[in-house]
Amino acid sequence: MKTCDKCHISIETNQKYCPLCHQTLKGKGDPSIPEVYPEFVATRREFLPTTKKILLFLTITSIIILLSINLFYPDGTLWSFIPIGGILYFWVVLRYGILSKQNIAFKMAFLTTILIAILNLIDQNYGTHQGWALDYVTPFALLACNLAISMIMWIKRLNYRDYIFYLLTIIVFSLIPLILFWFNVIQIAWPSQTAFALALFILLFIIIFFPKSIKDEIKKRFHI
Amino acid sequence: MNNNNKYREWYKLDNSAKIFPEVSTRKETNTFRVQVVLKEVVDPDLLQQATDSILERYPMFKVRLKTGFFWRYFDYNSMPFSIEPLNHMVCGGLSPKDNNGYLFKVFYRHNIIAIEVFHSLADGGGAYMFLKSIIYEYFVLKGYDISPDNMILTKDSLPTIEEYEDAHAAYYDPKNHKHMPEKKAFGIKGTPISGDLVGLISGTVSTKKILNLARANNATITEYLTAIIMETIYITQIKYREHLKQNQKPVKIFVPVNLRNHFPSKSLRNFSNFIKSDMVMNRSDITFEEILDLVKKQFKLGLQKDELIRKMSENFAFEKNIFLRLTPFHLKKFVMKLGYSLMGLSLNTMSFTNIGRVDFPESMIPYIDNISAAVYSGKFNTLNLGIASFGDKFKITFTRSIIETTIEREFFRKLSELGLDVEIESNYVEVYQ
Repeated sequence: MKTCDKCHISIETNQKYCPLCHQTLKGKGDPSIPEVYPEFVATRREFLPTTKKILLFLTITSIIILLSINLFYPDGTLWSFIPIGGILYFWVVLRYGILSKQNIAFKMAFLTTILIAILNLIDQNYGTHQGWALDYVTPFALLACNLAISMIMWIKRLNYRDYIFYLLTIIVFSLIPLILFWFNVIQIAWPSQTAFALALFILLFIIIFFPKSIKDEIKKRFHI
Repeated sequence: MNNNNKYREWYKLDNSAKIFPEVSTRKETNTFRVQVVLKEVVDPDLLQQATDSILERYPMFKVRLKTGFFWRYFDYNSMPFSIEPLNHMVCGGLSPKDNNGYLFKVFYRHNIIAIEVFHSLADGGGAYMFLKSIIYEYFVLKGYDISPDNMILTKDSLPTIEEYEDAHAAYYDPKNHKHMPEKKAFGIKGTPISGDLVGLISGTVSTKKILNLARANNATITEYLTAIIMETIYITQIKYREHLKQNQKPVKIFVPVNLRNHFPSKSLRNFSNFIKSDMVMNRSDITFEEILDLVKKQFKLGLQKDELIRKMSENFAFEKNIFLRLTPFHLKKFVMKLGYSLMGLSLNTMSFTNIGRVDFPESMIPYIDNISAAVYSGKFNTLNLGIASFGDKFKITFTRSIIETTIEREFFRKLSELGLDVEIESNYVEVYQ
């Protein structure tokens, strides 16, 4: 036991100074008695900081190079936006797909939505054969996402609680291509119909076999 | 437990819990720690087993935080929970993404068993019940001959609805929720400790002696210590500088009140309110007696049933408002953040949590050495205080987010002047880095 004759306190420690007044403590410590509170251990570790910096550097330089070539040697189109979109999508995948701690259903639903948005933007603004993004990519991406989330839920049954909301969202999204087809925005029917059919099939499956989980999920998410 | 009797799988956040997820950051963590020191070295494997078995009894703790369209909610958490060795962080942030989504942690180190709880989950009263149950199950696994004596919820009892209801809703009075505007409080300034670290200095004194001192002044321990703290703040921070602008603000000590002692509720969630001392200290001739008299008067007023219900209903009225309820969550979040930054933290100089005397069944007492409580310290409330007593060990725990220890030093020097033997513990945050 050590003492501080300024603060008139006693303390059991192997440190040399009083925590209150920072003056030297009197008396001898006992090294066999451990400190009450633990030592500092660095815990927070940045994920690959150098790699991140290199990637960031490469990203910014390539965007600048692409933009400058495009602007200094104009050919009437802003073609550089296509590779730039690709690069930005890479970052989205890195941030929300790989480094995020969200559950996998969210990652897939989110990344699919962003991918569809980017590809549709490219399709609207460039290219000779317009409409491919809406006609083929959108329904098939939704179909793939739908299938993937349902398979994961099927295999990892325990976590259906966490996934079902994202599955429902993607199912609702899958109805959109068919609606667009009705309004003649989409010309080719069969991809949208396939995506819609699968979505409907999964939805009916959940409603008939797991009615309670859907009801509970909606109750939870929308309680006021 | 059969499946038909299964507890609910999700919970609304109770009234006081709603604000914390929106305003918590790495600096303002809104967590608190309760700690029990045993007379023997803790066995981590048994502690893990004890925690696992008792979590089934406390479904309210076996949750993760999720976001709905209008409100956040707690959803059943199917992931396993694991205990950890105590680390250097005192009341560090509990990110919903880490820790398998659990909003509390169980720590062990030598003789210490501690839990840190995010304030949305429970208040000090609820957390202590939980820790007691863990320790009871731990002792049972150790093979000790102990009995719960109706003071501890064991894993064999069943959870009841009252434990999980929002007790605020039960005692809310729609006619008594007048909002009383408040002035900003004096803030203790200092050099921030880098890296969001928190310094902890804890002093142990004799319960009997401090109780006698308080009684000699015709005050309760809370009133007496609040007055000492206010005097210390006055002497170290304000005296001879009374004319400065920042020293015109009142010194306000925020003291949480356990409403379970005032209303017959068994809630294990949040059910606490507060009383406050409030004094403008811009004179050079303030005496201790004057402070103590004022504190006694203000605490007495604050503890009246009407006033407690008013404070509770003031917050609850916010939740009752149908327009607010129908606002999408992210907008609501923005409103809550704004409201809190305008009037939340800066209304208190310091918070002073008195857990009080902690009771254990007779048969468990020989195995326990002491008990303490600590609350986080952040950007504005740079110094906070938590006290708890067990037997004759009265532990006064300061947590601070600034390097300076002036107030702690003067406070403990004052206690030794009054004739108390003070034994100090510190996490020596100065040598961290």
